Amino acid sequence: MEERKRHDSDRVVLKVENLRIHYATPQGDVIAVSDISFNLYEGETLGLVGESGCGKSTTAYGILQLVQPPGYIVHGSIEVDGTEVLNLEEEALRKFRWTGLSLIPQGAMNSLNPTMRVKDQIIDVIESHEGKQNDKEALRERIFELFQNVGLPNRIYNMYPHELSGGMKQRVCIAMGVALHPTVVIADEATSALDVVVQRIVAQTLVKVKDEIGVSLIVIGHDMGLLAQIVDRIAVMYAGKMVEIAPVENVYANPLHPYTQLLIDSIPSIKERKPLKITEGITHDPRNPPSGCIFRLRCPFAWEHCAEFEPPPITVEDKHEVACHLFDQQFEERRTNALATLANP
Amino acid sequence: MAENTSDAPVAGGTKEAGLLNRFDNPWLNWKFLTGAGIIGFIFFLIFLGNQLWDTELALAGASPLNMPPVGFTNWRNQEGIPEHPLGTENSGRDMLALLIVGTPRTIGVGAIAASVGMAVGILLGFLAGFVGGWVDDVVRLATDVTITIPSLLVLIVIQAVLPRIDLLTMALLISMFAWATPTRYIRAQVLSMRESGYVQMARLSGVPTRDIMYREIMPNLLPYLAASYIGNMTGAILSAVGLELLGFGPQRIPSLGVTIFWSIEAAALLRNMWWWWGIPTVILAVVFIALLLINLGLDEIANPRLRKAN
Amino acid sequence: MGSFSLNYLLRRLLVFFLTVWVAATLIFIIPRLAPGDPIQAMIARMTQFEGYVENADLIIEAWRKRFGLDDPLYVQYFRFIGNTLRLDLGYSMANFPATVYELVGRALPWTIGLVGIATFIFFTVGNLCGALLAWYRTPKWLKVLIPMSMTFTSVPPALFSLLLVYIFGFLIRVNNNPLFPQVGAYARGMAPEFTLEFFGSVLYHGFLPAMSIVLVTFGFWALGMRGMMVTIEGEDYMILAQAKGLKPFYVLYRYMIRNAILPQMTALAVSIGTLINGSVLVEIMFVYNGMGSLIYSGIANQDFGLIQGTSFILIVTSALAVLIIDLTYPLIDPRISLEGR
Repeated sequence: MEERKRHDSDRVVLKVENLRIHYATPQGDVIAVSDISFNLYEGETLGLVGESGCGKSTTAYGILQLVQPPGYIVHGSIEVDGTEVLNLEEEALRKFRWTGLSLIPQGAMNSLNPTMRVKDQIIDVIESHEGKQNDKEALRERIFELFQNVGLPNRIYNMYPHELSGGMKQRVCIAMGVALHPTVVIADEATSALDVVVQRIVAQTLVKVKDEIGVSLIVIGHDMGLLAQIVDRIAVMYAGKMVEIAPVENVYANPLHPYTQLLIDSIPSIKERKPLKITEGITHDPRNPPSGCIFRLRCPFAWEHCAEFEPPPITVEDKHEVACHLFDQQFEERRTNALATLANP
Repeated sequence: MAENTSDAPVAGGTKEAGLLNRFDNPWLNWKFLTGAGIIGFIFFLIFLGNQLWDTELALAGASPLNMPPVGFTNWRNQEGIPEHPLGTENSGRDMLALLIVGTPRTIGVGAIAASVGMAVGILLGFLAGFVGGWVDDVVRLATDVTITIPSLLVLIVIQAVLPRIDLLTMALLISMFAWATPTRYIRAQVLSMRESGYVQMARLSGVPTRDIMYREIMPNLLPYLAASYIGNMTGAILSAVGLELLGFGPQRIPSLGVTIFWSIEAAALLRNMWWWWGIPTVILAVVFIALLLINLGLDEIANPRLRKAN
Repeated sequence: MGSFSLNYLLRRLLVFFLTVWVAATLIFIIPRLAPGDPIQAMIARMTQFEGYVENADLIIEAWRKRFGLDDPLYVQYFRFIGNTLRLDLGYSMANFPATVYELVGRALPWTIGLVGIATFIFFTVGNLCGALLAWYRTPKWLKVLIPMSMTFTSVPPALFSLLLVYIFGFLIRVNNNPLFPQVGAYARGMAPEFTLEFFGSVLYHGFLPAMSIVLVTFGFWALGMRGMMVTIEGEDYMILAQAKGLKPFYVLYRYMIRNAILPQMTALAVSIGTLINGSVLVEIMFVYNGMGSLIYSGIANQDFGLIQGTSFILIVTSALAVLIIDLTYPLIDPRISLEGR
């Protein structure tokens, strides 16, 4: 894993701007994703983390245009290779799907059609986008190759989903996800339902396939430890906001946002047995977020300024942004003090 | 049954306004309310009829024969008379009196049979769902066999050897088959609830099985039980009407099905005495449609997913 | 899940044979519940109804021999079961010396034809309507029209057939002839033979009876299908199907209908009994040449042997239909295999 090659391309393949997604409820809209913006670069693996309910999956489904009612996209822009996804008409969107953006769902769950053979579920995606395949032999070879990429035996070709183990189903989903060499693949908690060993193997498969095929990948998860090993950058979300996005080593070595620090602290470690930081989850009413900074109610460093102004994303170095007033030049003193408290708790 | 009318009156048709409806009080379900309203109205009319009309007219020979309803003429060119607003049939029974007397009898047979069937169904369904093992196997086999047998045929065989029976006996005979569907349904519901989180939780914390049944499962099962009861009642009335159409059932004071049977025997269709068979038929049809509406409404009340789909 | 101590195939077969056995046993027991000598009682009732019974002595003799009423009860029982299983159903008293077997043999194909075609229509149309009701691309006018066409759902088929006969077989007339025939399975005076004319006559006569069943039944299937489609719309694989950019119509039939039809098949097996109940009555209303009319003639003539035999065969037919559905089910649901798990 260590000698994994870095991705330093500056070509943006996915550009999300001001994406806002609400869930309608009779008591008013729940703000699931609140005006987030980020870039995904060519060949990059971006991890999207945060506690449950922070909007990371909703963000992914928003990008894929799969937000299920009562959710809906309020506004925003999603560009894939220069194509504005939100403007696509129904048929254009259908054709764009899977070739532009594909999804690797929690395959261990119920993501495969129980009444279709594995091969048919892969063939249908190929034939929907590339037309009827007359050379059945070539089609089969192509699917075998996909199987081989993800480490699946050829014998599952004719099997039904219920005959496969959770790990195998997940691999089928990966094979399916990359079958058309899409520009961007989004893996939504792709490993969460598997047991620990299988989880690791599947995660490695995911990265291997991604590198071989050369797609860009967004991995959504909550396991910071696992993500650290497979992603290039991590985007941290809190209550619908993206609070920090940074190269993975920065996040672990030098987390900037107070919430990121909290997350990193919560990673259990065998080497040092630290007391678990007990933190309650998101505390505010998601229909009625606090003024200013979304995190200020739980932030140990918050001051009046945080209640008044919403922190804009501040670029601290290349591809590293943080949305916290502490990193505004004018509050340098506060930042120094805060870091000092952290160093000597 | 225009299913779509429910989302038609949404003001402005915005996404949010449409959503508000689905979180409204589930009992304000138009299907449930319409069905219940129809049944309530029918019972109100029966009550009113019992107060205002002479039900003795339902007996044979109480009135002139073959009179048409008011405003119509029969094949002998007789005009309908206000003494018999819905006409009379060929043995001089007043149609209005027949309806007032017959409708509750037909619905009553269904209600009794459905109640007995339901009681057995709840008992066996819970037993099978909770005890499991061979008890479950036996109950399942028994329900499968009972459901497979067309009940009407066995009831015909029984009726053919038994002398004339009264409505209560008929209801009890019908209930011999009315337990299977609720048993099957309740067993499935109990099984799925037994696996659900809150019941597992109660079990782990040592709540006695009986308390789990009464306190955890029963309350959640109530809308399902209500829907099942209505469905069962529909089935029981269907069986009763079926037997009556074959000429079985009470003769002196007839129910709706028996009235229709006599009209068929007397070739009322060919004599164009539509009021004789037509009015009871339409009333029964309305009762069945109303029961279905109640049932569909209860389904939606019990199952939010269906509600959402409208 | 519960205890699957029996595998699928064995269970289905067991239900079938149990049903046949229960039916035979009921038919053995029920007449013996009536007070007195059942045969004497039957003949007495027939005499009472018809004044005089031809061949009464012969009938009593034949039935006595058959019942063997002087033997111990268990001997009678086993003989009865044995006879019944060999489809030796005895004589029709009203049509003596015709056997019940002969009469049933003539009537059964008509019933199977009528119920089979009606079932095919309401199952296909009902499920299609239900699928269309739930599908997001269905045109608005269809979503209004389909529920309206379901108005008569749950009206008993027999009652509905009265309305149909009155309207289409009596009120509406073309050249002073009713639009559809009121009675019979084919034109009077025709002999059953394999000609196009006869076949046309059968379809013409079968239309109203079949519609009596279809129009009040397909709504149930539409409602059930709609419910299943709604459930399936929430499944994870539907989200993936959408993400995959499959063609909408393909998603409809290969992902939604294909999965939603499975519980509908199970429901069809469960509904066969009720269906037969309804068709018996519809046949009687139309004096159709099937099993229902045969039973009715049995009732009218107090011909108990005929009632028994016809009922028994219809119950067996019902059980057989259920068995066939249950055995075909594993072919459409890959998760169930005949070998059991």
